[in-house]
This record gives sequence, C-alpha cells and structure tokens, in this order.
Amino acid sequence: MDSSNDEALDIIVTNVVATFRTRCHLNLRTIALEGTNVIYKPEVGKVLMKLRKPTITASIWSSGKIICTGATSEDEAKLGARRLARCLQKLGFKVRFSAFRVVNVLAVCSMPFAVHLIDFTKNNRPIASYEPELHPAATYRIKNLKATIQVFSTGSLTVTVRGSALKWKLQS
Amino acid sequence: MSSKVCKNCGGSDIDVDQARGDAVCMGCGSVLEDNIIVSEVEFVETGGGGSLAVGQFVSAEAGAKHPSFGDAHLTGRESRAQTLQKAKQHINTLGHQLQMNQHCLDTAYNFYKMALIKHLTRGRKASHVIAACLYLVCRTEGTPHMLLDLSDLLQVNVYVLGKTFLVLARELCINAPAIDPCLYIPRFAQLLEFGEKNHDVSMTAMRLVQRMKRDWMHTGRRPSGLCGAALLVAARMHEFRRTIKEIVSVVKVCESTLRKRLIEFEDTPTSQLTIEEFMKIDLDQECDPPCFTAGLRKKKAHELEMELKKKMDDVEDEIHGYEDEIDAELQSSRPKLRGVYAAYVKEDCENDNDGTLTTSSKMEDDEEPEEVDELQAVAKHFGKDLGELTLEALIKLEQKRSGEEEEEEEEENQEGDVPQRKGPSLESILGTMPSAATLGLSESINNCIGDEKENDGAADSGELDLSGIDDSEIELYLLDDREVKIKTALWMAENSDYLKEQKEKEAKIAKEKELGIYKEKKPRGPVKRRPPIRASTADEAIEKMLEQKKISSKINYDVLKDLNIKPGASPSRKPESPKKELSATTLTGRNRKPIRAGLSLSTPLSTLGKRLQPFITGQPNKKLAVEQVANSNPLPEPAGAPASGVLVESGPVVYDDAAADEEEEEEEETCVSAMELMGSNDYGCDGDYDDGF
Repeated sequence: MDSSNDEALDIIVTNVVATFRTRCHLNLRTIALEGTNVIYKPEVGKVLMKLRKPTITASIWSSGKIICTGATSEDEAKLGARRLARCLQKLGFKVRFSAFRVVNVLAVCSMPFAVHLIDFTKNNRPIASYEPELHPAATYRIKNLKATIQVFSTGSLTVTVRGSALKWKLQS
Repeated sequence: MSSKVCKNCGGSDIDVDQARGDAVCMGCGSVLEDNIIVSEVEFVETGGGGSLAVGQFVSAEAGAKHPSFGDAHLTGRESRAQTLQKAKQHINTLGHQLQMNQHCLDTAYNFYKMALIKHLTRGRKASHVIAACLYLVCRTEGTPHMLLDLSDLLQVNVYVLGKTFLVLARELCINAPAIDPCLYIPRFAQLLEFGEKNHDVSMTAMRLVQRMKRDWMHTGRRPSGLCGAALLVAARMHEFRRTIKEIVSVVKVCESTLRKRLIEFEDTPTSQLTIEEFMKIDLDQECDPPCFTAGLRKKKAHELEMELKKKMDDVEDEIHGYEDEIDAELQSSRPKLRGVYAAYVKEDCENDNDGTLTTSSKMEDDEEPEEVDELQAVAKHFGKDLGELTLEALIKLEQKRSGEEEEEEEEENQEGDVPQRKGPSLESILGTMPSAATLGLSESINNCIGDEKENDGAADSGELDLSGIDDSEIELYLLDDREVKIKTALWMAENSDYLKEQKEKEAKIAKEKELGIYKEKKPRGPVKRRPPIRASTADEAIEKMLEQKKISSKINYDVLKDLNIKPGASPSRKPESPKKELSATTLTGRNRKPIRAGLSLSTPLSTLGKRLQPFITGQPNKKLAVEQVANSNPLPEPAGAPASGVLVESGPVVYDDAAADEEEEEEEETCVSAMELMGSNDYGCDGDYDDGF
C-alpha cells in the first residue's frame, strides 16, 4: 500500500528514544553544577540535559543509565548519545559507552481519506479499540511487531514501535 | 474405602452398617473400619416438636470449613473468599450509588471473578478494578452511565480508570459496543427538567444527534459533548431557555467544546432548515468530518501560496532582464551618473550602497565572480568599503532569498530603472533583515564546516567511539570555573530546603549509627545503651544494674536491698502495685509499687520482664534468688511482671523514662508485709487495685 501508490505516503519518524549505560557511577550534583543546559531534579534523582545539535533531551541517573529522547532518526540518536557520553567524559567521569539500544520509535503518517472509527473498530474487533471518552483515536495494536497505531478520524496515523529490529519494521 | 476382602480371614462378606458407621467381616468378626464418615442427613427435634435438618449450607465458592457465628465477616476464611466478599460489598455500594439494578451488579461481580482468576487485580487498586468491572457492565448493558460518573464517585482521574477498563476489556475478551450518544439524551434531559415536554425535547435532540452522526461530527468526540449541543438546540426549538452554563453543569463538558460543536453543526446544511422542515425532512447529503474539512482548507491555503511563489519567480525573471540593462547603461554612463546623482549619493551613501549591492546581488544566484565584478563596479560609484559590503551582500543573498521575496516583489514591481530608487525601500528592509540573516548564516556555516555525522557501529566493548564528535563543541557544554561557582551558588540557594532536609537526615543516621543502633525511619532520639553488665550471679547483676540506673531519690534503696536477705522480715513495706504500665504517670504514688511485689515462687520467669530476662537464665535454683531480688528491685518499670501470671507489657522498655520512674517510685507505707505481698499474687492487676489503697 505504501510504495505502490502514485502519491507515495510519507511516513516521517518524529521521535526516537534510546538508552545506554555508562557503566560507572555518576555524581549528579557535579553534572548539574558544571554543565550548561542542565536541570537537576533531586527529588526524583535525575538530571535532564539538553543538547542542541541533534536536539536531544537526556535523562541521566546516578547509576549510569541514560535515556535519550527527541532524536529524529536512529542514527541521530546514536550520535547524540555519543556526544553526551563525551560530554560526561570531559566532566571527569570514566564513561564507557555500552548497551546502546533503541527503545521506541514514533512516526507520523497521513492518509488522504477520512476513517470511520466505529466501523473500523467493529471490523477489527480484538486488535483495535476505540474509547471516545478517553482518546479521540482508535488504537490498533499489532502484537508480533510490538507496534501500536493510533488512527484518527481525519486519516492521520501515529505509529509507535518498541524493541529491537526496528529498521525492517519501518520499511515494511 | 471399604475393602471387599477381609484382611484377617480373606472373606469377602463384609457388613457395612451406615448407622453405626462400622464395617465388620461376617466371617471372622473383625472390625475392619469404624467411624466411617457418613453423608446422610440427620434430623433433630426442635422445641415445638418439629424437626430440623442438622448442618449448614456451605457455598461452593466460600470453601469455608468453619461456619460463621457472630462475626459474619472475615474471620478464618481463606483469602480468596475474603477478597470476593469484599469485592461484592464494594460493587454493591457503588452500584447502588449509581442506581444500577441487581442484575447488573451480579454481572459485574462475575466480571470481577473472572478478572481475579486471570490475576488482573494484581498491581491495581481494588477500587479501580471494581469501577472498571461496573463500567464494563454499563457498556454491555447499554446503561447511560459515563466513565466520568464513576471517576466522580471515586475521585480518581478518569484516564486512570479508563486504562484499567481497557486492559480488563482486552484481557477478558469482552467487546464493549461503542457508545451511542443517543443513550445519554434521556438522562440529561431529565436533569434539565423539561417537565411535560420532556419526551418531545428528547426526541428532537435524538434526531439532531442522528443527524450529527451522519454528518460525521461524532467520530473522535466525546458523546456527551454532542448530546449537550443537541439538547441546547432542542430546548431552544421548544422554547425552553437553557443557558450554556446549565447544560455544561449537567453534561460535564467545557463551554468552548459546546460552542465548537454548535459551530460545526452550523456548517452543515441541516442547520439551514427551519424547525418544521427539520422534523420532517432528512437531507441525504452527508458531510465530511469537521477536522477533515479544516485539513482540506489548510491544504488549499498551502497550494495558493505555492502558486503565488511561482508567480513571483516569473516576475523576478523579468526584473532580472531589466536590471541587466540598467547595469549596462550605468557602466557606460558613469560620469553622468556621478554628476546627477552625486547629491543623492552624499545623503545616503551607505544605505544606497547596501541597497544597490543587495539588489544587484539578489539578481544573480550562482554567478558569484560576476557578481563581485559588477558589485565592485557599482560600488565604486558610491563608496569605498566594497570588500565588506560585497561579502555581506553575498552572504545576505543566500539567506535572504526566501524571506525577502515578498519585499522583493514590492520593490521590483517598481521596476526601478535606477537602482537608487530601490535604495530607500530596501533600506527599511535591510534595517530589519541583516540581523536575522547573519544569525541564520552562522548556523548554516556551522553546518557546512561542522562535523559530519558518521555513524559507525558502536563499540560494544564499551569504548566510546569519538569519530564525528567535535570536542570544541562539547566544550561549549561545560562551564568554566567562574560559571561553576555562580551556578553552584544559585543552585544552592534554590534548593536550600531540600539540602537542609538531607543534612538533617544524614546527621541523624550518623548519630544513630554511632550509638550502635541504626533504626531506620524512626523519629525518636537515639536510644542509649549501656554496656552489658558482667556478673557471676543474678544477684550481682541486678545489683550492678541498680547502681547504673538512675535511681530515684525518693526511695530508700537500702531498705529495699534488705529484702534480699529475708523476704518477709524486712520492716519496710511495699505497697502492692498494680502493674499498670501506661498509666504510670497518671497514678501518682498511690498505687505505684516499686517492687514486683506480686511475685511468688510460681511466677514464671517470662513475667519478670524484659529487663530481668537477660539475667535470668531459667535455672530453677536461681529462681528463688531472682524473685527475691526482684522484690527488692526498685524499678518501677511496669514492663515487668504483674502480680499474677498475667503478662501486661507496656512495649519496649524505655530506660530513660526517668520522669515516670520517679513518679512510680514513690513509696508508700502501708501495712502490708512483703510476705503477704508475695503470697497474694493470684488476684492479678484488678485485685491489686483494690488492695492498693
């Protein structure tokens, strides 16, 4: 359906979430005090650091686990993560870049036609669910791909996919 | 159960008597079984002469072995039964509040049971699961209850409930039919109090809602919003005045939502019909959903823009041609220009420079060297600072193209034969543009010169692959020392409260650790612990302890100590003290007994109290001595033995409860000898109270 149409449907990846570990303990206070673009939340126990070049927001925990969000592609996410690790290295921590893993990818697509959600849900009973009181979109979950698609009545779709082997999923 | 063959003789003739509950072999007479469990109904005679069956009904699900007598609640049943019973109660309470009938409640209970079996209640609040079950019933039965109602009752966020509901519906494979807004109309109509015309208004509103459905206004919207709008219109149609606020309070949507729905409805062709027409006719034409039409509008606007741009490009090309001619003429007629335009030049020299330069530079997109020449030529007319200007102009060219197109159009429409005419108008533009351009430019320059994104495979060994990372840029992210100090100060100031708390906590913990007791999360002060007393006998130990402990000055301890030697002979008297622990401070003096006067030989060691237990090793020969000593024990700690074997403990022994001690240690002279006290130990606390006066 995607590529064989005359007007190709563009599916645009808008957000990629990735995690990695630095395998060393990080002192959050040092990071908070010596870094720019840093927000420290001591109650929760994490530091939010924002990078400009690949626009990335990273949550840094003292255990060394870091979550990066806001990248627009997997590669960008990786670059941002590496940048971040380099930054931490400069602050004096013995950072090692390990266990980099893309956790979640969000993409947006738009159909040229409107969708009748109630009929759609009826036809796809167990897979799709629609609750107008809660959310205006119908949620369609594909279990084996671990994907969730939200279908809006205007025809726009948002696709979120978790887990490994994401590249081929985006293409299929 | 009953073997067909006798064990002794091997005979198979076995007589089983149900009444006696025996199985007897007829051959050898040996009893094979007795007290056989019988499942027969027995009858018992009642007072009036009737007969009752013996036994109680036990429900299959309860599985309770013990019948419940007085407390029909949750004693001694197994956990599952308790859970179910609780759930049933909650469901009934909630259901009655929502005016649901019993059938629905039973169904909800069944749903709950199913959820329990599938372990869906784990990790979720029981109230949430119950509410979700109830809502599930509402949906399947089609009752006009909204999830909002349930969340109102429970004071829980509706989305949290919704999540639970969705999970439940999915796991239990229950397909809840979609909500029809028509369901809600009678309910809201009642609340709006239309009186006799209630039915009419409801019918009108329903027609409206159906019309809305056909016009695709209801997909993706809350049904209550649609109902609200429909009811508003219906009410007005039947000459009822219902303000938006009233409807909002009933329907529970926001004012702006209502307004929006009304506007959308207005856009449909149905809104053009009169009231009578509406009741009779049903238009066939269906509309697209409103957000879809909004999207289409945007698309159209976008397309218009594109068209305009194309037109602009055409116009620009024309102007290119014109400007070429102008430049050619300029070059040929330089001296003339100087003379004529000298005046202009002197006035706004730089501005004109900029203007001309930019205009001419705008013309040529990619021909940089040519531009430079031409610019130089032009600039010679007006100014000397060509180098900078040229560069700037070139730079601005790249960035300004898109932004300036509209302004370009304005100027170029003038078709300035003379570049100078364009100068003034460009001035205004240049006044605003340059800053944006230069900023934009720096970014683009950085992008060009800056790192290329090389994304090689990550080194899983943990080493950081530095390729593609520009260190200098990273350094930007780090503050230098001065900045660090400033930031530290700011941060400390902001988070001072939190830091204080942390320090206090740490201090407390450190203190407690020192003292050997680290009690987590206890707000009490540190508990002091004395070094353990080493003594060879219990007597010694207790003596030492007495010395150590802060002892009241109101008691004559020597006398007490004498008690050691002769239990009954000492002249001092100790009043009996009921071992009232908690009311130690309240009972002043009177009933306080410094001594475990109620002890007797038979008092178990355990009742002697925690304090004494370490010293009491349970050896019987020491028991006497201990008790004797205990008698002399001035410790008023009521945590020790009460008179009788009734162990009344006050909880953890607090050693430095000096105040209580002192009060308790007031000795009273009563005429009760120690021996009597020793002997009269069986009354217990209550008995002691009486004697204490």
